[in-house]
Amino acid sequence: MITLESVSKRYGSRTIVEDLSFGVAKGEIVGFLGPNGAGKTTTMRMIAGVTAATTGRVMVAGYDMATENAQAARKIGYAPEHPPVYDALDVSAYLRFVARAKGVPRAEIAADLDYATSACRLESVFRKEVYKLSKGYRQRLGLAQALIGKPEALLLDEPTAGLDPGQIQETREVIRSFGRDHAVLLSTHILPEVTMICGRVAIIDHGRLLAIDSPDGLRRASEQSDCVALLVGAPATGLREALLSVDGVGAVQIDDAGGRSIRATCQVGARDGIEAAIARAVAARWELCRLERQQPTLENVFLQYVKADRVPGADS
Amino acid sequence: MNGVLAVLQKELLTYFRSPIAYFVLAVFFVGTGYFFTYNIFMTGDATMNETFLNMGILLIIVLPMVTMRLFAAEYSARTMELLSALPLKPRDIVLGKYLGAVAILLALTIGTTINLVPLYLFGQPETTSILSGYLGFLLLGLACLAVGQLFSALTQNQIVAALATICVLLGFWFVGYLQGFQHSYELRSLFRHLSFSLHYANFVQGLVRTESIAFYAAVCAIALTLNTSYLDWRR
Repeated sequence: MITLESVSKRYGSRTIVEDLSFGVAKGEIVGFLGPNGAGKTTTMRMIAGVTAATTGRVMVAGYDMATENAQAARKIGYAPEHPPVYDALDVSAYLRFVARAKGVPRAEIAADLDYATSACRLESVFRKEVYKLSKGYRQRLGLAQALIGKPEALLLDEPTAGLDPGQIQETREVIRSFGRDHAVLLSTHILPEVTMICGRVAIIDHGRLLAIDSPDGLRRASEQSDCVALLVGAPATGLREALLSVDGVGAVQIDDAGGRSIRATCQVGARDGIEAAIARAVAARWELCRLERQQPTLENVFLQYVKADRVPGADS
Repeated sequence: MNGVLAVLQKELLTYFRSPIAYFVLAVFFVGTGYFFTYNIFMTGDATMNETFLNMGILLIIVLPMVTMRLFAAEYSARTMELLSALPLKPRDIVLGKYLGAVAILLALTIGTTINLVPLYLFGQPETTSILSGYLGFLLLGLACLAVGQLFSALTQNQIVAALATICVLLGFWFVGYLQGFQHSYELRSLFRHLSFSLHYANFVQGLVRTESIAFYAAVCAIALTLNTSYLDWRR
């Protein structure tokens, strides 16, 4: 539904997005992650047709955004980070304007407005002027305008920013239900949100795509950074050597605070049964109080990719 | 065309749900009323000529207040992001906004016709020169709006947009006076042709000249085309 083919965006000599290629299929929600200034918003703006790609091609529902902008724009709903709302209008007039500008047939406007307002729970403020709305309602109005015109693809730039926990829950439900039969690209800083609702995650930094996979796939791909944490009864002389002798154990960190037990953390590879091997090696000589494998969170995976990208000369 | 109408409707709602349109209309009507009364009592003639000239300069001062927000406010409120993402061509946005501002100009024009009531009740004014004066007033207004809208598209700051527009419009208004300082025929001719006030004065005197109509139409066309091209270039 959304396809980016080697898309780059340059302002003068400054490259904001470089050779970006990925796609979002119908029925899929893709999380778009990256630190501030990574090029997420610029990418979203290129897909929405707000700004044109310097090189490469952006396709939406089979239409080229550069040459068939009007057709492509009809297929897309874009909710920018700052809700693009008119303070002087009331909610209904604002949504009606968006519907007319999107070319929604006159007979369908009322139904479209009903759908968008009920999906975003805006019924109670339907006749209210936009300047009187709270931040949460403005945010939801920004999302509602994106839903007008039954778009096939939805671009959401931090849609839950500024919402209270109840509203966040409701908004996630809207996105999830919309994602069942539409393509959704969701930019957010809230990583648990991505884990909860996104089928795939794209990580970008410095305008380049670092990784794209399911949250589990990303975690698996980075399992070399899994840790096994141990609590061993003191004293445990030679523990480090014993741990390093186990096949698959990388760096070992021993934390001996001088108490009755010693804490050790080993970086482990993806080998199956490595916990059992470590447990056998330790229990043969010392008292093993606790052993647990710590899987990296999406946050750790994200930071790992971004840090690797920022190491000079690192291959990303 | 639907896109133009959607933008036009939005513009009209925005104008009349904010105080700016009422403020501009009030200032213009009070100013015009004052000049009309002053001119009638000073000259004792049943004519709109002097009043039309005053209305022209007043128009140049108040219309930038109408146009300053057209794009600058969209940039600062980040609603330009929405307009650019909607299936609207830059041409639709420019035309819709322009027509919205033209509606204010029409309201200004219609409002001033109240001055004609006492003129026709107590005197015998020349209808053709009044009609040509109004035609000139409308053409001058259309040109001012196009120039103002272009400047509004070039900046995020409404005050800067208004001041730049007033400066340029006053420049066009007074450029005709530079004729007297020029020896070269070409320069004198150029300044005469570029002068908003000299073309306008023709209409006020009852002269509807193709050259003057073409001049104002060209200013509108150039400003609106540059406006559209600028929006295209911004993408």
